[in-house]
Amino acid sequence: MEKPQLKIRKLPPCRAACPAHVNVQAYVSLIQRGKFREAVEIIRKDLPFPAICGRVCFSPCEDACARVNVDQSVAIRGLKRLVADIEREQGRVKGEPVPKKYSEKVAIIGAGPAGLTAAYELAKMGYPVTVFERMPEPGGMMRYGIPNFRLEKFVVANEIAYIQDIGVEIKTGVEFGKDITLEGLREEGYKAFFIAIGAQLGMKLNVPGEDLEGVISAVDFLRALATGKPLRVGERVAVIGGGNTAMDAARTAKKLGAKEVIVLYRRSREEMPAHPHEVELAEKDGVKFYFLVAPKRIIGENGKVKAIECIRMRLSEPDESGRRRPVPISFSEHQYEVDMVIPAIGQVVETSALPQELLNKDKGGMLIKYDPQTLETRIPGVFVGGDLATGPASIIEAVGAGKRAAISIHLYLRGRDPKEGLDETIEEVTWVKDWNMVNKKARRYDAPIEKPHLSLEEAMEYLMQLKKKARFEAFRCLGCGPCAECLAGVELCEGDKAVVDEVKCVGCNVCAVICPVGAIKKNDRGVAQVNEDLCKGCGLCAARCPENAIAMRKLSAEAIMAMISTALER
Amino acid sequence: MEMEAEPPKIVCFMCNWVFCGEELQVPYNFNVFRVPCIGRMDPVLILETFANGADGVMLVGCKPADCHFVDGNLHAERAVKMLKKLLNLAGLGHGRLKIILFSPLEDGNFDKYAKEFSEEIWVLGSSPLKNAELAPKITANLAAAKNAASAFRLRVLLGREEELTELENAYGERISEKDYDALLDDIVNAEFVRYKIHYLTRDKPLSVRQLAEMLGLKPSIVLRHITNMRRKGMISMYRVEGNTPLYKALEVH
Repeated sequence: MEKPQLKIRKLPPCRAACPAHVNVQAYVSLIQRGKFREAVEIIRKDLPFPAICGRVCFSPCEDACARVNVDQSVAIRGLKRLVADIEREQGRVKGEPVPKKYSEKVAIIGAGPAGLTAAYELAKMGYPVTVFERMPEPGGMMRYGIPNFRLEKFVVANEIAYIQDIGVEIKTGVEFGKDITLEGLREEGYKAFFIAIGAQLGMKLNVPGEDLEGVISAVDFLRALATGKPLRVGERVAVIGGGNTAMDAARTAKKLGAKEVIVLYRRSREEMPAHPHEVELAEKDGVKFYFLVAPKRIIGENGKVKAIECIRMRLSEPDESGRRRPVPISFSEHQYEVDMVIPAIGQVVETSALPQELLNKDKGGMLIKYDPQTLETRIPGVFVGGDLATGPASIIEAVGAGKRAAISIHLYLRGRDPKEGLDETIEEVTWVKDWNMVNKKARRYDAPIEKPHLSLEEAMEYLMQLKKKARFEAFRCLGCGPCAECLAGVELCEGDKAVVDEVKCVGCNVCAVICPVGAIKKNDRGVAQVNEDLCKGCGLCAARCPENAIAMRKLSAEAIMAMISTALER
Repeated sequence: MEMEAEPPKIVCFMCNWVFCGEELQVPYNFNVFRVPCIGRMDPVLILETFANGADGVMLVGCKPADCHFVDGNLHAERAVKMLKKLLNLAGLGHGRLKIILFSPLEDGNFDKYAKEFSEEIWVLGSSPLKNAELAPKITANLAAAKNAASAFRLRVLLGREEELTELENAYGERISEKDYDALLDDIVNAEFVRYKIHYLTRDKPLSVRQLAEMLGLKPSIVLRHITNMRRKGMISMYRVEGNTPLYKALEVH
């Protein structure tokens, strides 16, 4: 794999929208055909966490899905989860160790989604990779930030075990900046470094009373729970913030026995960054929401939280993030009696562990000085990515960063400029422009399956039933992109394209009407022209061309005839 | 029912995207070919398969709207409709060709359908091509059918069926299914007869009367076809014998 992995790629909307560019169209198409195992293999090519992302990904693919124009997007995430769960039915899937092709050792700091993905990609290329993790278990926020009811711990463990199978070494309990340093690792023979330690500190509220007993940031709260530390949950808990972490913390508190959990958010429901589904589930669990309130101070008694004083807000004109800015309303202070406050207003990076050269000294800029495209820093051989670089984001974005880092590190170690990998442009290609076609394809399946947001027990019970349902659901995919290279029909369709004999073509337009993906159009000379990006090699045009002017490159009429006559002679 | 020692040879073209379990179970006399889409099967290829000695041809596609290529399966259905007419004219009978749109999700195992078709072909017996008496006539008919199916007129009609019956043509008109069927019938008949004439006059020049006898048609109808064919450059007057003009086929394509 001397060449950089990425080229100029034409992708369907779902794949283009995914930060890790998972080949959605291919695996959905394999699910249609009931090939669940092959579907997971396809996912694993781009993403080492099919089961994790099948549960907690915020699914940008579904938002981009062209099916939205017909009814609702295909339940891509649910399908992904399903195939990953089916695969696991037969026990944990073992990865094949990849032989080491290169001798340069790579060190990865932080075993979160970004670090593990980079390790996975580099190991697949044939590098010896070691991942260093501070916590006793690898997984980062996937393990310590997402509560068990959303993402079971053994799912994380399974997927990480797969990464270890292919040859990644993970060392836990090693703290960067304390137990190991860049210099030390360089002496040990590591040639390249990827720092992805994430954003682990809960952001401070900056209101009086924050040091009282009973105030614990959401990340600390969830981490304590995941590490099994004894945790005392108050009777009445206030969670501050409207993101997914706030939802997780609120639901966890409720599940741990809090009598009343209130979420205080300074804007209204529409502006909440949490996934609407998560909000719904939190409400179902009995969490109460108060909108347009911001904490002003936390009132204590004997060093413990007694109440939280809030002020009412109103929304004014939208700010640079497009959301309406909350403005406090004077003299609207009021108090809620609570004995625990969980701020969940964001996370920040623990800069103390980082080499000081990495930090950006000028205020207002990025926290860390790095090239956002190649992820290089000013220290040669050191790359950064994930939440550490971008601020708190999502698993799938971290996976995207990890993949990017792997390519940059590969180029760097081969003595090439990491910028070489940048010539790729992702172009969205879809035939969904002609609504006649969409309606044709869409006429059968109109109702999406209930998107499975189930707990494991429920899901397993549901699985058999779901297998059939999932295939129907997968059939809702319009297949609107170019050939997905799903390799489901390798010998037949791989790279087959129609070729027009321009001399024979009379410009009757039959092919243009018949082409399912609109890949054939008449050009200005009145001759049919094949757009090879869209052509999927079905051969419908060749079968109908009145002048026999279209031939298929691979499966020509002659080739089919030869097959038939040999078979019939037998 | 005539039972022969040799089992009928059945060719089955199956869409690559129809998934029938890991192992496809079909009777031993089935030859299964996977094609990228069942719509890929050019009518000419199917006629050619019969000319090669197949006793039955089965096309297996996906259910409507499950097609990987939007509506390749429906295109195949249209082709089969036309082919059945041609096969009837050629004397093979329409029963030897069958298309099923199949989904293991809804229809269960494929072997049931394969067996059913195999039995149907057993009942029909082996292809008349294998009967020494009928063979020359059937060969001629199949050649004519093949030429008709590869010529512009039928192909363009077939290619436009959807446009004509489901969408609208350039003038915003739509033809009803029934009208289209009548049109297709007319054109299939005419094209078959013309290519039959073309085939018969290939080697030796023939008069209208001789052709009418061979085809079992009225001389006036044959003459009308010949006039048309002359205009299209398919045939020309070869010489005049007494008062009777003789016609001979010209090379087409």
